[in-house]
Amino acid sequence: MPLDLSMFERFAVTYQPEDIIFCEHEPGDTFYLIQSGRVQIVKIIDEIEKNIDILQPGEIFGEMAILEEAPRSASAVALDQVKALEFNRENFEILMKGTPQIALKLLKLFTKRIYDQKRRFLILTLNDEQAKVADVFLMLSETQHVDNPDEDEREFKVAVDDIAHWAGISPERSRAVLNHFVSQRRVEIFPDRIVVKNINDFARFVKSKRRQQLSD
Amino acid sequence: MPKAINYKANSIVYFRGDTSENVYILKSGKVSLNYNDIETGQEMHDLIQTGEFFGVKSALGKYPREETAVVLTNATMIAFSVPEFEQIALQNTRIIMKMLKVFSNQLRRIHKQVRNLLMTGANTNDPESGLFKIGQYYLKSRKFKQAVYALRRYLTYYPSGKYASEASSLLEAAENGTTGNMRNISHAAPVQTGTQLTEVAKAYYNAVSLFSQEQYGEALKEFQKIIKDSQGGEYEAKAQYESGRCFFNLNKFDQCIKHYTMMIQKYPKHPDLVDALFYVGNSYERLNNKDKATGFYKKILSMAREDMPVYRKSKKALKKLGE
Repeated sequence: MPLDLSMFERFAVTYQPEDIIFCEHEPGDTFYLIQSGRVQIVKIIDEIEKNIDILQPGEIFGEMAILEEAPRSASAVALDQVKALEFNRENFEILMKGTPQIALKLLKLFTKRIYDQKRRFLILTLNDEQAKVADVFLMLSETQHVDNPDEDEREFKVAVDDIAHWAGISPERSRAVLNHFVSQRRVEIFPDRIVVKNINDFARFVKSKRRQQLSD
Repeated sequence: MPKAINYKANSIVYFRGDTSENVYILKSGKVSLNYNDIETGQEMHDLIQTGEFFGVKSALGKYPREETAVVLTNATMIAFSVPEFEQIALQNTRIIMKMLKVFSNQLRRIHKQVRNLLMTGANTNDPESGLFKIGQYYLKSRKFKQAVYALRRYLTYYPSGKYASEASSLLEAAENGTTGNMRNISHAAPVQTGTQLTEVAKAYYNAVSLFSQEQYGEALKEFQKIIKDSQGGEYEAKAQYESGRCFFNLNKFDQCIKHYTMMIQKYPKHPDLVDALFYVGNSYERLNNKDKATGFYKKILSMAREDMPVYRKSKKALKKLGE
């Protein structure tokens, strides 16, 4: 259902293509609802600009600022000419009460973020670096659509640095662990993707490491 | 249509790992949500209050149930499909607002837990260097417009930061780069003035930056000035907390205790209250007042949740004191 947001016109901001809306690491106290144009979320990891997501009109971004004034965890860049509504904690309540549809959208976004963060947390609590890396692949496979669930092999469009980022280890360590997996023939690394030969083998491996850790 | 369902004691509403379809509201009886704490692995039991919703997060987020819902005594609940739930929520904003509050607290908590774990890892990156490096990166990859933005932001937040002079010269280079081929940059920037920080916020981030460079005396001066100038308001409270940390790091333990005692009286619900108490306890410990220190650490244990870093720190400190 189309939302009538005309009452929020005074919160509207516009950006030209390639404009930075906010930058990773800068303190944030505003969040945005896209009205037109697309916004790209990027992160610079080891001198490479990584695409995290591309957001469409109707989507919300920067929402962590509602909760705490922490540094932004990624940058938001306008892909097209973008018109967005900019809100902060002060006018947040007005927005939510005036347009419950947006409040509901935000509620759903929060449920997803909580789940993602919890899953990430589980990776980070593992002590063993190999288990961390294996668990990153498990996490990625959980949200991946698979045509044939009986197939053990999984392909991921990620690079070594992405794995390092998720596992909370340095890119060098990430590469070392992955090379070890390659030598065991559990993983194959290609320029544009990483293939895990048997995802269930990784699942068993992580499970046993986790159990071992709890009994220690 | 939402329907009322009766459950016998010891039956299960859903198991962990089940596909989530319904949202429930408890009408009568007792239901417990059983799950393992993600940090300790400990088995947890949360009792649902009558009139409370449960199963909301996994149903709305479309992921498997994270807990098992066990019926303890004969109970009645109403099951809503997700569209049914959305419909009543849209008609009753209070439900959404309340849940937003609960979920945002959970999100903030898990976010903090993740950050704490990442901090201990190798890739610690303080926001000040982070922001500067982004400016550097964009300049190097000849994305001048973005470089100008990041470097200007850096200089706004950290006017006397450790990279300030370097940032100024890089900014000049970036601006020269843009004027060469894209004249419209200087017009594009003012569009974002809506997000400009207030003076007090700038002063605050500057002081935080001094603190991170271990210039505690300078930082303290700045924080004290913010307290004097801003009177009440968010930044005063923050500056109060940071001032205490400055006293502590300057080894002025008496003043640290005095300062936090005053702050706690003024802001009994300060968000950093428990951390402040830890500094007080630690100050007493440094002053060799073992009893007082023990008292404060014990108080923290009774106030903090077990998953908070300050809880573990206090526990460790008590152990050291032979408690």
